[in-house]
Amino acid sequence: MVAPSVVIDALTSIFTTAIGPAACAGVAWGILGGALPGISPSITMALLLPFTYGMDPTIAIVLLASTYVGAEYGGSIPAILIRTPGTNAAAATVIDGYAMKEQGKAGEALGISLYSGFVGGMFGLAVLVFLTEPLSTLALAFTPAAYFALGVLGLSVIASVSGDSLAKGLMAGLLGLMIGTVGTDPVTGVNRFTFGSPELLSGIPPILVMVGLFAIGELLAQSGEPGWEKAATAAARIRFPGPAMWRRIARPQAIGSVMGTFEGIMPGGGGTISAFLAYNEARRWSSHPEEFGKGSPEGVAAPEAANNTVACTALVPLLSLGIPSSNSSAVLLGGFLIHGLIPGPMLFVKHPEVVNGLYAGLFAANIAMVILGYLIMMPCLWLVNRPKPYLMAFIYAFVVSGVYAIEASLFHVGVALGFGLVGYAMRYFKVPFLPMVLGVVLGFMVESNYRRALVLSSGDHMTFLREPISAALLGCAAIFVIGSLLRHAGGTRGKSRQAGANA
Amino acid sequence: MGRDLAFGSATLALSAAYYWMATAIPESQLADAIGPQGLPKIYALLLAGLSLVLMVGSVRDPGSGIRDSKDEHRVPNPEARVPSPESRIPSPEPRAPVPDPRSPLWRVAGMLAIGIVYILVAPWLGYLLSIAALILATTYYQGGAINRQVAVVALSGGIFFWLLFVVMMRIQQPPGWWPPPL
Repeated sequence: MVAPSVVIDALTSIFTTAIGPAACAGVAWGILGGALPGISPSITMALLLPFTYGMDPTIAIVLLASTYVGAEYGGSIPAILIRTPGTNAAAATVIDGYAMKEQGKAGEALGISLYSGFVGGMFGLAVLVFLTEPLSTLALAFTPAAYFALGVLGLSVIASVSGDSLAKGLMAGLLGLMIGTVGTDPVTGVNRFTFGSPELLSGIPPILVMVGLFAIGELLAQSGEPGWEKAATAAARIRFPGPAMWRRIARPQAIGSVMGTFEGIMPGGGGTISAFLAYNEARRWSSHPEEFGKGSPEGVAAPEAANNTVACTALVPLLSLGIPSSNSSAVLLGGFLIHGLIPGPMLFVKHPEVVNGLYAGLFAANIAMVILGYLIMMPCLWLVNRPKPYLMAFIYAFVVSGVYAIEASLFHVGVALGFGLVGYAMRYFKVPFLPMVLGVVLGFMVESNYRRALVLSSGDHMTFLREPISAALLGCAAIFVIGSLLRHAGGTRGKSRQAGANA
Repeated sequence: MGRDLAFGSATLALSAAYYWMATAIPESQLADAIGPQGLPKIYALLLAGLSLVLMVGSVRDPGSGIRDSKDEHRVPNPEARVPSPESRIPSPEPRAPVPDPRSPLWRVAGMLAIGIVYILVAPWLGYLLSIAALILATTYYQGGAINRQVAVVALSGGIFFWLLFVVMMRIQQPPGWWPPPL
């Protein structure tokens, strides 16, 4: 249970520190990024990530997390106005949001989206606070064997985020683990895969991998693509729902919040799945199911509540176990790592101020979203309506400036460009990114703790099963992998059967 | 060749090269039971095995993978939702929205080349001019014309980024041969 004094301190810090301004800046940046079709929340965060390097850790984490919150709402703006979702998670909003716009109700649709995002975000924040705090009590019991098992549990997420091809997901994970071996060996200090380059002695920073895969890779993939439709600014005056509409959309918002909680906590879930699940369930439980697809306010409220809930609940596995369950939380993990913070049980013991600051920042971000969502609608539309060549050029300039700023190194810019090419190739071959990111960020932890645990136990591998926390985590990983494999096999059989029936 | 087969072949070659490099890691007197070579070798073997699985699957069932198509210019993107073709009206500015006739590889190579040139010239030209040149080159490469308006936008962009990062935020950027800002 969270102590009341902690809550009061956290809320006070919004006004007495830079947490409040950081939350507002993050939300504004997130809305602008989310509103640009093709720029997902993770890319919006990755663009900002290098600039957080010199910041106070708490402020940097709040800025990134608030960007995630803002981007989830921002994605709904082009979804409603130009039938083009700004983010994956806003794809479900297109269905009824654009239909409302066609009926001249774009302002209402945007208002419902904003209000539902706020409701979902606040619900998700409450879930985050109450689910992650109890895990802090386990922190002091963690040994190298337990940390190794925690890393394995994190890697087991690959089984559920590999999409259609488990083999490709595992291969991407292995490639990430290989990248993680570059640099000085954690036990003996021997140099590995450094090719005599002093820049590689400390390894390849995960931030360069993330910026390359997400931001530069997307720039390369978007290169030469035609632009998107222009949005009419006259239709974009937000109108917040009145009391009658509040009552009508309360149920779909509740459904969206529950779906967002479930999918946010589950690795591999994420905003997109939760938004579509929420949409379907909202239609099932609606007293006006016939309106869905034709401009139902409930069809906007449910997915928007769901994807903003996910923006908070996706942080539960990240903060409590150090496991990123989505691309966006992986980028946030990058934000923790560049400040020397390791998310997981010890974070609550060693850096409680960061965790409490993050809670306060998310609270401020959800409130700021309502105000800024209203205020920056016009700048947002101005940005969406810029010619795409200019936008791409400025984003490219922003990326290279940010990467250089990390350590004033043009070598880093080159490495990030290299990973941009890798990201492009992964898009081309349809290989998921998250397994590679998991491999990069968890590789060092897995290897160093595996070997330390064996040194402490004189090479006895049974130590991983004798230690209760380690055994429990490995058991969870095994159950998770088996469950994912069974679900994958079931899905494959279903597709085969369907193909046979169609033949 | 199917993309799965191509990807499997590339990763198989990579795993062989990585294994070979892992064997060249020097032994240490401080080495534990696993040693600095241990896990890299295991990773390489696992990657090789999975590459073979993917390649065999691609050969046995060519329809299961994704196949190359000469008509397919769009790179599938598992991360970002891109606008569906029917929902987009291409931007009319700054050049007519005709499909880009260049192959995807040329487009990517051009963008990367712009980045590499930036890395090469930034230590001499300094941040402001280099970033303005990068904006100009990228805008042109993405379909913009070279005219006064684009040049003004690029230079304004360079000044904007310089003021924002170097002057206001005190973030270090390539100084070049110019005297430091006041």
